[in-house]
Amino acid sequence: MKIFIKVLIPVLTWSAVSAQTSVCSNFHRKACHLEGSKADKRAFQYNSQSKSGLFGQGTTSKIRCVVYKGMDYRMTVCCETVLGDKINFKIYDGRTNEQLFDNTKNDNVQQFEFSSQGTRQLIIEVTVPTGEVKEEKGKPEDAACVGLLIEHKVSDLTGFSQY
Amino acid sequence: MKILSLKKFQLAALIGAALLQSCGGGDKQQEKDELAVADTAPAVDNQSKGNQVESNEVSYQVPSPKEMFQFIRQVGSKNNKRTDILNGPDKAKSYTEMKDKSVNFGVYSCDLTYCSIFEIGTEAIKYFKVVKQLGEDLGVSTAIRADMLKRLQNNMSNPDSLVEIADDLYFSSFETLQNGQQGNVLAMVVAGGYIEGLYIATNLIKYEKNSPAIERIAGEKFTLENITDFMKKYESDPAVKEALAKLNELKVVFDKDVTSAESKDLSLKKENGKTVLGGEQLSMTEGQYNAICDKIAEIRNAYTGK
Repeated sequence: MKIFIKVLIPVLTWSAVSAQTSVCSNFHRKACHLEGSKADKRAFQYNSQSKSGLFGQGTTSKIRCVVYKGMDYRMTVCCETVLGDKINFKIYDGRTNEQLFDNTKNDNVQQFEFSSQGTRQLIIEVTVPTGEVKEEKGKPEDAACVGLLIEHKVSDLTGFSQY
Repeated sequence: MKILSLKKFQLAALIGAALLQSCGGGDKQQEKDELAVADTAPAVDNQSKGNQVESNEVSYQVPSPKEMFQFIRQVGSKNNKRTDILNGPDKAKSYTEMKDKSVNFGVYSCDLTYCSIFEIGTEAIKYFKVVKQLGEDLGVSTAIRADMLKRLQNNMSNPDSLVEIADDLYFSSFETLQNGQQGNVLAMVVAGGYIEGLYIATNLIKYEKNSPAIERIAGEKFTLENITDFMKKYESDPAVKEALAKLNELKVVFDKDVTSAESKDLSLKKENGKTVLGGEQLSMTEGQYNAICDKIAEIRNAYTGK
């Protein structure tokens, strides 16, 4: 019995935490707004640099991604409602760390679209703001899934220019 | 009372663990990398730091080869069907060491993606079978569902579906390795996918000054940086260390040969109602491009055993 308590319980408790956090796997694919008809070749497509993670209120996490010249990007953040309905995200230049975008200064938009005129690294910083926690049955109050969905498409050309 | 509470907690933990494990399906482990980068410190007011990002750990993301092939297909010829440059499926049997299996799992996954995007359905099936076999050896067989082959066979003439299936396979394998805490294998798979993707692209694209395809390849230096930074986390593994050394050699060639024009406006701005992110013009001469082609071929052939 002692062995059970000393060894098995911590293992199982850890497993419980593991299983809980793996719920966030692919959260962005399921929960973030995914547009784009597969039949429409011009539509936005899933970008493999998307990511999900387990966040608590006040958690900040960053990814470094690459955007390419001649591509349009759409970035969407989403979270489980237990964390509220607004996520903060900022975009920085990957080399200079200069801040390029802050959604809190742009009506707290949860989706942001831009056309890239150059290939460069960007750092995307996602933060769950502190605030009132919404209780949800069967869910922990202090942590929940947050997703960052990145989509891309080749930019539309204007005029008579061609690649 | 305290002991009683502890027992209640332990019992709850036990029941909770059993329930969560049974509901978890294939996701048996937490997403270690994601948690590793989560900074639970209170959010930083970046305004007070002069708009500079904080220096806490960053997760390095890598675009899949699909994105480069789609670009090449869209800006170039749709008839870039060059199966001769792919790694022959028959060679899979010769990969006996784990490092070769993992790198070539990435290589063959990339070949499968190429066949799907360029609508080479018959070859796609051959590559799917090889990826499945190597995946079983690497312990990602749960990611390769039995119905995928059937879907592949039923959608041979439907490129969108082929791409979707290849993508599905790529991401589920990636996730299985990540969740299974096989970061070292994942690092090798990612390296293999990148190496093959760049190898195929450099074989498809002929040098032309100011060509968007050439500039796209020049931009691969940034993806390479993300890959090498990601791999550093696992460099205690000798195979990863060796692959990292090879990729660093390629990085030296990229850094030497790819030049950026004087910076234009690098900020975000509105242009004709569209938000535009400025960027530098990357360029290279034909000789510099050939140096990158030679280096990537050398690295790729060392792993595939051409």
